[in-house]
Amino acid sequence: MHFDQRTPIYLQVLYWFKKRIVMGEFKRGESIPSRRALANELKIHLNTAQKVYKELEDQLLITTDRNVPSKVTLDQSIIDRARTELLENAVKQFVDSIYAIQIPLEEVIINFEKEYNIRKRSELNA
Amino acid sequence: MLEVRGLRKSYGRKKNVLNDVSFTVPLNQLTCLIGLNGEGKSTILKAIMGLVPVDAGTIKVDGKTIHDSIAFVPDLSTMPGYMSVGEAIAYMRDYYPDWNQQVAEELMGFFKLMATDRIANLSKGNKAKVNLLIGFAMNRPYLLLDEPLAGIDLFTKEQIAWIFSSHYMEGKGILMTTHEIAEVEHLIDRVIFLQNGTIIQEDDSEEMRELYGKSVQDRMREVYQT
Repeated sequence: MHFDQRTPIYLQVLYWFKKRIVMGEFKRGESIPSRRALANELKIHLNTAQKVYKELEDQLLITTDRNVPSKVTLDQSIIDRARTELLENAVKQFVDSIYAIQIPLEEVIINFEKEYNIRKRSELNA
Repeated sequence: MLEVRGLRKSYGRKKNVLNDVSFTVPLNQLTCLIGLNGEGKSTILKAIMGLVPVDAGTIKVDGKTIHDSIAFVPDLSTMPGYMSVGEAIAYMRDYYPDWNQQVAEELMGFFKLMATDRIANLSKGNKAKVNLLIGFAMNRPYLLLDEPLAGIDLFTKEQIAWIFSSHYMEGKGILMTTHEIAEVEHLIDRVIFLQNGTIIQEDDSEEMRELYGKSVQDRMREVYQT
C-alpha cells in the first residue's frame, strides 16, 4: 500500500478497510485479520493498526469480544451508512476538482456518463 | 519510559555539543531523532549508553539509573572483520544473558544472511542488517539505532522498514537517528528535531498530518531551511 505522507496514515488505512467491508471482501459477521496481521500485511506500525480498529469499533463497523478475533458487524444498516459515506466523500472530491475549473453541470454529467461507461465496458471485457 | 534530562556536553571551550537536551522515549513507539550532519545525534545515543562523558544530565529507565535495559546499535560494524556472521552471533549470545537466539535465527533467515560470510566481506547494507539483528536479539526493551538507513540501497531500507511494522516491535521503545526518512516516514510515531545541540521542535507525526496536512519531510524543510 502506498501512503500519502500528508494525510494521517490511520485515516488512509481506515478508508482501505471500509472499502473492503463495503465491497464485501470482509463479510458481514465474519472474522477479520488480527491487528498484528493487518500491520504485517500493510507494513504499518502496530499502533496504527490498533488505532484503525479502535475507530472501526467506535463507528460500530466491527465488534471485538475478549480473546476472539474481531468481527464485521451483523447490522447491514451500519455497512450501508459506510457505503453512503464513501460515496459522499468521493463525490465531494470530484465536485471540488470540477468546480475549480468551472465546468457547467450538464457538460460534467455527459462526460461523467461517457467515462463511467468506458470503464464499465473495459471491466466487462477484461 | 526512557527519560533523558538536561544533557550537556562541550568539547573544550569552543562549543556546546549538547545544550540542555531533554526528551523521553516511550515503549511501543518509534521515536526519531532528526538533525543534519554534526548536530549531535550520535553523541546523544552514546551519552545515553555512557560511552562518552557528559558535563551534566541524567538517563533514567522507569525512574531508575540503570542501563542494562537499553541496547545500542552503532552505525558501523563493531564486530571484528575476521569473524563470520555465525561466529559474531555466537559471540554475542555468550556475552548477553538475555540473548534471544530464536529472534537471531529468524532475522538471519528474513535478511537472507549467510552464517559463513565474513563480516569484513559484507556490503554496507548487510553489515547494517547484522547490527540490527544483534540489537533485536539482545532482547532489551529499549533500542537505540544510530543511522540504520544511511547509505543503504532501497530494498534493504524496505526490509528494515518491515522490521518496524513487525511483531519484533512489540514492547520495544526505539530511538533512531536518521536524516533519510522516506522509506520509514509512515512508521515514525514521534520526531525530535535537533539543531546545534538543542532540541528545537518535537512533533507527533500523525498529529502533524491531521492538524497541518504536513509530512515529516515538509516539517524537516521548514525547520532546517529557515
